[in-house]
Amino acid sequence: MVDPLVALLVFAGVCVLGAALAWPRTGLLARVARASRLTERVLLEDAMKHVYTCEAIGRTGTLESIAGQLEVSTGKAAALLSRLTEMELVHTDEAGTRLTAQGRDSALRLVRTHRLWERYLADRTGVPAGEWHAEAERMEHTLSPAEADALAARLGHPAWDPHGDPIPTPGGELPAVERLTLAAAAPGRTVEVVHLEDEPREIYDALLADGLGLGARLDVRERSESTVRVRARGREWPLAAVVARNVSVRYLPVGESADEPAETLLDLDPGQTGRVLDISPACSGSQRRRLLDLGVVKGTEVVPELVSAGGDPVAYRIRGALVALRREQAEWIRIEKASVPAEASA
Amino acid sequence: MAGVASPGCASCAEHRTQSLVRLGLSPDRWDTLIALAGNPNTGKSTVFNALTGLRQHTGNWPGKTVVRAEGAFEHAGKRVKIVDLPGTYSLQAGSTDEEVARDFILFGRPDVTVVVVDATRLERNLNLVLQILEITDRVVVFLNLMDEARRHGIGIDPAKLEKELGVPVVAGVARQNAGIAELIATAADVSAGKRKTSPLRVVRYAPDVERAVSELLPVVESVYPEVPNARWVALRLLNADEAVQEAVRSGELGQLSSSAGDAVPTIPPELERQRLLEAATRLRWDLPADFHDVVTQHSYEAAERVARAAEVSGLKRAGFAFDRTLDRALTSRTLGFHLMLLILAVVFWITIQGANVPSSMLAALLIDDGHTWLKGLAASMGIPWWLDGFVLDGVYLATAWVVSVMLPPMAIFFPVFTLLEDFGYLPRVAFNLDSLFKKAGAHGKQALTMCMGFGCNAAGVVATRVIDSPRERLIAIITNNFSLCNGRWPTQILIATIFIGALAPASLGGVVSAAAVVGIALLGVTMMFVSSWLLSRTVLRGEATSFSLELPPYRPPRILQTLYTSVIDRTLIVLWRAVVFAAPAGAAIWLISNITVGGGTLADHLVGWLNPFGLLLGLNGVILLAYVVAIPANEIVIPTVLMLTVLTTGVAGGSGAGVMFDTESAGATEAILRAGGWTLLTGVNLMLFSLLHNPCSTTIYTIFRETRSAKWTTVATVLPLAMGFVVCFLVAQVWRLVGGV
Repeated sequence: MVDPLVALLVFAGVCVLGAALAWPRTGLLARVARASRLTERVLLEDAMKHVYTCEAIGRTGTLESIAGQLEVSTGKAAALLSRLTEMELVHTDEAGTRLTAQGRDSALRLVRTHRLWERYLADRTGVPAGEWHAEAERMEHTLSPAEADALAARLGHPAWDPHGDPIPTPGGELPAVERLTLAAAAPGRTVEVVHLEDEPREIYDALLADGLGLGARLDVRERSESTVRVRARGREWPLAAVVARNVSVRYLPVGESADEPAETLLDLDPGQTGRVLDISPACSGSQRRRLLDLGVVKGTEVVPELVSAGGDPVAYRIRGALVALRREQAEWIRIEKASVPAEASA
Repeated sequence: MAGVASPGCASCAEHRTQSLVRLGLSPDRWDTLIALAGNPNTGKSTVFNALTGLRQHTGNWPGKTVVRAEGAFEHAGKRVKIVDLPGTYSLQAGSTDEEVARDFILFGRPDVTVVVVDATRLERNLNLVLQILEITDRVVVFLNLMDEARRHGIGIDPAKLEKELGVPVVAGVARQNAGIAELIATAADVSAGKRKTSPLRVVRYAPDVERAVSELLPVVESVYPEVPNARWVALRLLNADEAVQEAVRSGELGQLSSSAGDAVPTIPPELERQRLLEAATRLRWDLPADFHDVVTQHSYEAAERVARAAEVSGLKRAGFAFDRTLDRALTSRTLGFHLMLLILAVVFWITIQGANVPSSMLAALLIDDGHTWLKGLAASMGIPWWLDGFVLDGVYLATAWVVSVMLPPMAIFFPVFTLLEDFGYLPRVAFNLDSLFKKAGAHGKQALTMCMGFGCNAAGVVATRVIDSPRERLIAIITNNFSLCNGRWPTQILIATIFIGALAPASLGGVVSAAAVVGIALLGVTMMFVSSWLLSRTVLRGEATSFSLELPPYRPPRILQTLYTSVIDRTLIVLWRAVVFAAPAGAAIWLISNITVGGGTLADHLVGWLNPFGLLLGLNGVILLAYVVAIPANEIVIPTVLMLTVLTTGVAGGSGAGVMFDTESAGATEAILRAGGWTLLTGVNLMLFSLLHNPCSTTIYTIFRETRSAKWTTVATVLPLAMGFVVCFLVAQVWRLVGGV
């Protein structure tokens, strides 16, 4: 019989070893996987995509910017650039580094795969929004163009990614998008968020946490060098200009206001009728489809009828059916209280 | 799809058969094909049963028919085939169910589509009806649950609804067979073209959507002039619906509208088809981002208009107050949980009490008398010992054992549970418990599949079909095994009586051992929550999730039909699967005990080989081997353990090598086990391992059938086994360290 103390110690050792190996992100396996992903090809592709991104926003990619973006030394960046030049994907002259036609095609394919994958994560999986970008960064190097096309077909050939960026077609077509950033929006106007930069991750997370998802509406109150004050749904708060630059918006017609009543289904008392205004943009994918299918659309009357014994799901009368919704779902649904009490509460 | 695209014989019967085989329909001969569509929980399955006389399992649950059912009947000398499509809220092809339903209505080319509509939720049902009317004009609406609507003070005028929708509307109550004859006659008329329909297609969308549609519509009409639902095709192309795009690309689209006998429309030239697809792609850029929201909103607005027009107001709400009061009580903070525990306790009590007598009668009949009698018969016929041993001691005995232990509790538990389901109580339980399950990342309905698992894990896994959110359903499937099933209770009770009850004074022994068993069951529930939490945050976090829980109105349970269907559908099917797996296990058990290699039986070698590992886990080689060979059914673990102990240790007892047996009393069992080297630790760890080990093979197979994924089946199998190894190991080492034996 093995000595129990020895057995326990061996077991503890195995556990520690296993954790060191398989711990997500910091474990040995994760490190090895990451290192093996960052092959020469991936670095070249990332460098090419960086040049493309710079061109798209009217800047020019430099050695330093490539080194910064890819987190490699300038020497390594120079080696990557000369290799790309050899492959006739970029060419460099006194104006800076530019993509060749062939390079542009390749970069667009990467962008296409990246944005398709983000669309896929948003629509078909439960992966939280903050992780879409990192996942897509990985997948853009793994999926072949044929696989990307198959994915596009499965998703119904989407035109836009979940951040509001257009997805290039297989032929490389891409509509030119003129963007107004929130930092440049005129005070006094009401705007709608049409695009969110998903990098850097910290800023993106902060934006999402602030309810600034796609489609969110804001009143621009004041603007200074360093901050923009915005107001939405009864709340006013300042946004740092650095953050506001990551948000693209479009003007809504003069006279519209984002200051709609901030009420959601949660604000209804049992028996009180609410009329649906919209579903928050934070609710996407299958969750949103389900609510729509159940009849939660603009103008639908909703009455809370039953609170469960556990307190949380509340059953609402929605178009004749009794549907239980969880707290966070109810919070997504914006309503206005109906002045006349519903017949159901009589 | 070369066969589909070839113009030669696109509308003849063979072609159609081909495209149906593609949709998974068996190509039998029939004259009329009916598709049955509708929202979840509208009584679609009941209508299906009423039409075909089949007893498909129906329940008061949204989302029952996940696997498509087919049936057939004869009407006026014609063979009618009917396909029950999955219940869906829409046909936007956002989920597999919706794709299956939509593809069948479009490409299966049913002669008529019957849409079952719940009269109590008219607006939501009409949303689906309107979507179907956009695809096909051969539609009959069956307005079901008219009695329930009346009870809730909702009156609907079928004639007005018919006028609004432009297709025949038949009102009825499928549960009472009311309106079914008329439905059949109407469907036959529509499919034969005797009744012309002019479906309502009024849905208009927001200006920017309409602009895109109006630009694309002429292109569709010029490329496919014969398509009757060009507007719908344009919309689906704008939505980049893959199936519709493929139909355009292959040219199949033009043929869908032609019925057999018509001239085959020619396929437009490839260039034209390409032009249409390109136009759609170009227009798609201009669509608003909330395209889908807008489309749904307008569909609902149209549904609301139709419903208002067809409604009869001023009825008395007779049953409404009753439902209200009942709901208030069953979901109240003070009463809700108590009532739930009381009801569940009663269900379990009925099961345990009721199963005792028939179980021992079956055991006496099949095992004691039956086996002895068959052995005698075999001996008198002079059958060789090995054949008689293999067939009777191996295959027969294992099967008989499984049947006698499994059948009675299931035949009681399932019908009682089904009655609660039929009445509509179970969704309320899910409603009450959801906040608890939400914390573990699971769905409230998992409470019910877990309860079902206490009867049988395989049945519990099947029951997870009511959970329509993919992530939560997988969680429920993978963790169902933590419900201590019917096959494991006897093991727990026996071991607890022998090893734990014996520690207490004789007068308290029963209580103590019962408490130990309940403790194990509660540990299982805890493990279920813990592993649900872990799964939802690790391997399953990427799976899609969409919570919804509909509380259907209460319906008076139909006792006789419930008894019939739950016995046929749940009990017998599960039993049959168990028997199919148990028979070979019996053979294996007999063979390892009787095949001798190098001076010992196979069982001797295997036990010796597994023993060191078993002892490390606080178990022994016999137990591990028993769990390996008895993987088909937990019921035969103890008989196998006893047989193997006698075989490998040479203790007196039993009926011979490879013959499973049970003793007359717990005392006799204890004597054998003690002689096999069992201690209190072995007993405790066996109870733990019986809870925490891989599911039986019936359940594993069921998990595979339900998930269609080797990955998730492996996770569901390995996860509890690994947990069992770790827990038993830790208990054993700590036990020995602290000074136990």
